[in-house]
Amino acid sequence: MNRRTDAPALEFAGVSLTYHTKEGETLAAADLSFAVEEGEFIAVIGPSGCGKTTLLSLAAGLIAPSSGSIRVRGGEQGAGRFGYMLQRDELFPWRTVEQNILLPLEIRRDRSPQAARRALALAEKYGLGGFLKQYPDRLSGGMRQRAALIRTLAASPDILLLDEPFSALDYQTRLNVCDDVYHIIRSEKKTALLVTHDISEAISVADRILVLSARPARVVAAHAPGFGDIAPLRRREDPRFGGWFETLWKELNV
Amino acid sequence: MKREQKPAPSAEHQKYLRRLRREDGLVGVSRIGLLLALLGIWELVAAMQWVDPFIISSPSRIARTIAELAADGSLFYHIGTTLWETLAGFAIAVTLGTAIALLLWWSERARRILEPYIVVLNSLPKIALGPVLIVWFGTGAASIVFMTVLVGIIVATLNMLGGFLATDKNKILLLRSMGASKRQILTKLVLPSALPDFIGMLKVCVGMAWIGSIMGEYIVSKAGLGYLIVYGGQVFRLDLVMAATVILCALAAAMYAPVALAERILVKK
Repeated sequence: MNRRTDAPALEFAGVSLTYHTKEGETLAAADLSFAVEEGEFIAVIGPSGCGKTTLLSLAAGLIAPSSGSIRVRGGEQGAGRFGYMLQRDELFPWRTVEQNILLPLEIRRDRSPQAARRALALAEKYGLGGFLKQYPDRLSGGMRQRAALIRTLAASPDILLLDEPFSALDYQTRLNVCDDVYHIIRSEKKTALLVTHDISEAISVADRILVLSARPARVVAAHAPGFGDIAPLRRREDPRFGGWFETLWKELNV
Repeated sequence: MKREQKPAPSAEHQKYLRRLRREDGLVGVSRIGLLLALLGIWELVAAMQWVDPFIISSPSRIARTIAELAADGSLFYHIGTTLWETLAGFAIAVTLGTAIALLLWWSERARRILEPYIVVLNSLPKIALGPVLIVWFGTGAASIVFMTVLVGIIVATLNMLGGFLATDKNKILLLRSMGASKRQILTKLVLPSALPDFIGMLKVCVGMAWIGSIMGEYIVSKAGLGYLIVYGGQVFRLDLVMAATVILCALAAAMYAPVALAERILVKK
């Protein structure tokens, strides 16, 4: 596998996808092209039902595109280098927090003590140290989502795929967890691709925002709000925030 | 984590707790009282000859019959026979049923191919296979165990398959994104999350096993509680019929207890 260091972390080139069911076929994405650079935080927004989740499944290699190509660091994609985070934390209730966090290593049959130590050090660093031996039902919603993020990071993924990871939380928790996740992803210098229907959320975390059209999904606009390393909660107070919101709102409603 | 020190309960809370305890006590006493009242009325009706005790037997006659059976040792022989057949059939039905459910979970094609067969077998009254069993397996315990398996296995399969197929789709997606193989999805997710279904299936199958073994003994047997009941009916000894039925009740409850205990220990929430 030839990996080039200057290649984008993830690149979609002319990707189309057709769903087949007995009732017929649906063109879910047509000529979808974009690139995610190393270390970038990208948010994808689009009208509901435009196939945002499908985009993540394509990126992770869980479904194959009908045509076009998806490249990871210039090479062919392969499962395992992606960390997936879903709407709900999906922690396994019969496993302790520690066992949940080590799950990706188990799946990879990575039994090296270094990998486990690294994962647990992450948990320690981000305030889960006291909860490792507990079962997830003892944790608050925010802490559960944090545990889910640490689990995602445990396998040292190159790219994080975030599928509306805050949408199941109540509003106040959502803002806090969003801030939390943003900081962890930044300080671990991870590349992230977030899909969301929440315009404010997209503006508050992303370096770049891609706007998708209704089905068949294609990229209709790309913006770089230029907030740099300003934290999500601060961004919401920034005078530019409202302007971006209006721009994106209009683009979503054409 | 340290247990938080609870403040002393308020007078109102204590009153509430007292009321709960009194309610529990009342339910417990009423349960026993109801049983004693029924036995008392039964005994009275028989003793006063309001109805011929030859037809309805009576608690004291049942107790005497059980004591007689116990004295000559035949009681334990019959209990042992039925218990053995029931447990063997139960174990085989549960094991095979779970294994078949696993196969059907693994292969959607197998599931689709076998679906009509399962539906037919599930609706078929198993007792219709009685004569076939006798011809194939003879008049011994093998026939009865086979009948027990037959009654339980489809229920076990359908219950477990339902549990396996109800596995959270998002958790499967999560594991797949980690690069999990189908086998890993099975062992790390599907099996542990189906534990409550397994316990539920065991509960249903305990009942099914008794149905199977007693039904088997009705058709063909030389010993066992089902045999005692059928024999007692044929020679018009209602004492014997009732005695065997009472023992059967006790055994069925006793077999249910460990399953309920396992549920309390294994299934959280």
